[in-house]
Amino acid sequence: MTVTGRFVLLVALGVVPIVLFGNEPGVAVLVLLGWLLLALALGSLDLVLAASPRQLAVQRMLPRRVRLGESVTSELFLTNTGQRTLRGVVRDAWQPSAGAGNNRSTVTIPPRERRRVTLTLTPFRRGERRVDRVTVRSTGPLGLWCRQATLSAPGNIRVLPPFNSRKHLPSRITRLKELDGRTSVMVRGPGTEFDSLREYVRGDDVRSIDWRATARRNDVMVRTWRPERDRRVVILIDTGRTSAARIDDEPRLDTAFEASLLLAALAGPAGDRVDMLAFDRRVRGRVQGAQGAELLSRMVDTMALIEPELIEMDWAAVPAQVRAITSQRALVVLLTSIDAAGASTGLLSVLPQLTQRHTVVVASVTDPVFTRAARETATLDEVYRAAAAERALLDVARVSAAIRQLGADVVTAPPADLPPALADRYIALKAAGRL
Amino acid sequence: MTAPTVTSGSPVRLSTPASAPPPANAPATTPTLRAAGKRSLFWILAVVGGLLVAVLATVFAAGTGAGGRPLAADNAAPAGGRALAEVLRQQGVTVTVTDTLEETRAAASAAPDATLFTTDPDGLLTAERYGDLADIVPNTVLVDPDFLALQALAPGVGFGGESSSDELTATCALPAARAAQTLSPGGRTLGTGGLEIGDDLGSLPGAAGVTACFPSGDDRFSVVQLTSGSAEGDADDSAALTLVADATLFSNEKIATYGNAALALGLLGATDDVIWYLPTLGDVAVTGPPSLGELTPGWVTPVLVLLVLTTLTAALWRGRRFGALVPENLPVTVKGSETMEGRARLYSRSNARLRALDTLRIATVARLARQVGLARSATLDEVLVAVAASTGRPLDQVRSVLVGADPTTDRDLIALTDRLRELERATVHATAPGTTASTPASIPPKPASTGRMEP
Repeated sequence: MTVTGRFVLLVALGVVPIVLFGNEPGVAVLVLLGWLLLALALGSLDLVLAASPRQLAVQRMLPRRVRLGESVTSELFLTNTGQRTLRGVVRDAWQPSAGAGNNRSTVTIPPRERRRVTLTLTPFRRGERRVDRVTVRSTGPLGLWCRQATLSAPGNIRVLPPFNSRKHLPSRITRLKELDGRTSVMVRGPGTEFDSLREYVRGDDVRSIDWRATARRNDVMVRTWRPERDRRVVILIDTGRTSAARIDDEPRLDTAFEASLLLAALAGPAGDRVDMLAFDRRVRGRVQGAQGAELLSRMVDTMALIEPELIEMDWAAVPAQVRAITSQRALVVLLTSIDAAGASTGLLSVLPQLTQRHTVVVASVTDPVFTRAARETATLDEVYRAAAAERALLDVARVSAAIRQLGADVVTAPPADLPPALADRYIALKAAGRL
Repeated sequence: MTAPTVTSGSPVRLSTPASAPPPANAPATTPTLRAAGKRSLFWILAVVGGLLVAVLATVFAAGTGAGGRPLAADNAAPAGGRALAEVLRQQGVTVTVTDTLEETRAAASAAPDATLFTTDPDGLLTAERYGDLADIVPNTVLVDPDFLALQALAPGVGFGGESSSDELTATCALPAARAAQTLSPGGRTLGTGGLEIGDDLGSLPGAAGVTACFPSGDDRFSVVQLTSGSAEGDADDSAALTLVADATLFSNEKIATYGNAALALGLLGATDDVIWYLPTLGDVAVTGPPSLGELTPGWVTPVLVLLVLTTLTAALWRGRRFGALVPENLPVTVKGSETMEGRARLYSRSNARLRALDTLRIATVARLARQVGLARSATLDEVLVAVAASTGRPLDQVRSVLVGADPTTDRDLIALTDRLRELERATVHATAPGTTASTPASIPPKPASTGRMEP
């Protein structure tokens, strides 16, 4: 039960009769009591006549998924199963991060009828956004007192990673296609596969002329090659404590998601099989054996629920995890952070096991704050900051050199540039036939 | 932030056929009034029980409290006078309790021969009222008279201070005093320095004589009786005013000690009626301008009460929660550059100038080596020579900037950092593709250590 502003006004209006008729103290008290009784009687009457907020059937219609940054419409159907017209306010209690804004709406539902309440949701955080309850406040016909009840009406919506880096996809796919049909002069390496024969045009490498075919066709033929296909790509995302750090107002983990989504979107058309694993001390998410369009949708679905865990990454378990996914030679992409040498010993100690069997790329986000700070040396504090930034950059360089020495590849870039940089590295590896 | 919209016109049959039963009500999480009452029944009972106990305790404890006016006939506290009044009633004396002079007059007209017992510890009576008091009944017992009372009723009697004697004995002819023999020692006394004891009292109009009892020194007495009119037998127009200096003599606490009770009963029990008059605020004459309470109209207090109630209602209106709060798990927010800032503050706090500068130098040397076309594995000396050659500066100067100079003050540190940056800029400028002409031709970027070049 609650009261409305109108009831407050009604009580306050009691001043008028008290002042008009109450020059004698006794009479004034009587008028006051009378007015209060009148207000209470009217309020009680209103409460009795108000429709019950419990006699309401609630149905929801929600889209299952939404990309972060996009808006969806949540529909709530309220059916009045009672005998009286329900007038009141409905609050659809979404989590704040669902971005519902003003979630209260005024409704009037005659008996046996149904109304739809629509709400525009613009979630601003990744993950599962929930709603559990609907609170209904039913006002009486006089608008003085209300009945209020909270109804259970659960619903949820999955907010997927935004995949902003998909804008880089068309250009990368174009470059991937350009690899097709190149002659061996441009594409060298043991992994390239013979594709077809075509007529020689000026500019082709004479070394790729197939003399046997030339003899048969009475025309100069050259062999063409295409990049190898059906290779395995294993993306391993570090969800340990370092992935929680915010760089350029984006957690490392989200940048890793962007990069792995772009890589998967690229590797799919290139004919490679992509498996994804999110891991710290146990598996937080796994996408295995998905192909084509299903791959990306399963990946974003899995990623939506993954949050950084504040525990140390267990690198010792990584080789076994990779082995469980594939026993073939694969491109293993480790999306982690390259920090000081002390923090990277775990990674460095298991890299030889991985590089023995697989091609390994370690991708890490660098902080643009470091490079900015290293350039500014106007004041004493800035000099010390620059020294600290240079120290950090030197540490990263040292660890990167150590990783390269162990036979792995390193990709480091600021958050916005890491996904395309990783995609470029993938294309370069593919062109070199090193997959 | 668009406001939610409500669309009408989609009736029930939108998803269910008309013959189908209406959809089931959503389960409510708010408890019904009955359920809420059942759940909080214990607390309701506990609060009601507690209030009941408190009320009962107050009611039963009221009679034993120390409150009430001193010497009031219904006050059972130590300072009260209920013991005396009750004993008088048991002896068949009618005790009439009055609060104002008007009531006293009315009581006196009903019983003209009554004895008036009065005391005014709060000083509520004025001199005129004391004058009126003397004429109401023939016998008046005034306990603990104040200055105004003495001025109005017994001008010759003054104050005698606290009694210092160990015992108070009657030593007078007053029958009641003789019956009492002694009084509890201590307490106030009255001074009779202005009167002739035992003589006619010329100064008092119609005064016949003064009897003073219970002396505690020269001219200091605890009880003084002034009589007027014909002293010999004719009781009709004789009047007696008895002044008892100390009020505690007749209190419940002390009435039973010494001869206090005998004195009291002797003074008050002589007649069939006693008017027990303790002045109240009703005796205070209303004078001066009307008070604020009289000037305010009658509706002011009710309006104030109404405003308070309106505020409470408004609080209920605004404060009632529209359903429970929805919890939200917030993510951890750690800035990635936290460690760098911390390290910078550590350098700064420990004045690690050389260490900071060396870090900058190492990074700069690595960049310079790349800039002049040397491998990453080139030695420091090779880099120094190459940089000196490409910028055309003396080797010593380059070595001082990149290796040698030791910053001893903060100013040195900033200056050296600036020179480091300047050297780097000069090298970039010297080796930039457009400025090859300015580079001395004698120094080609020769591969100094071919064996260690990276592929």
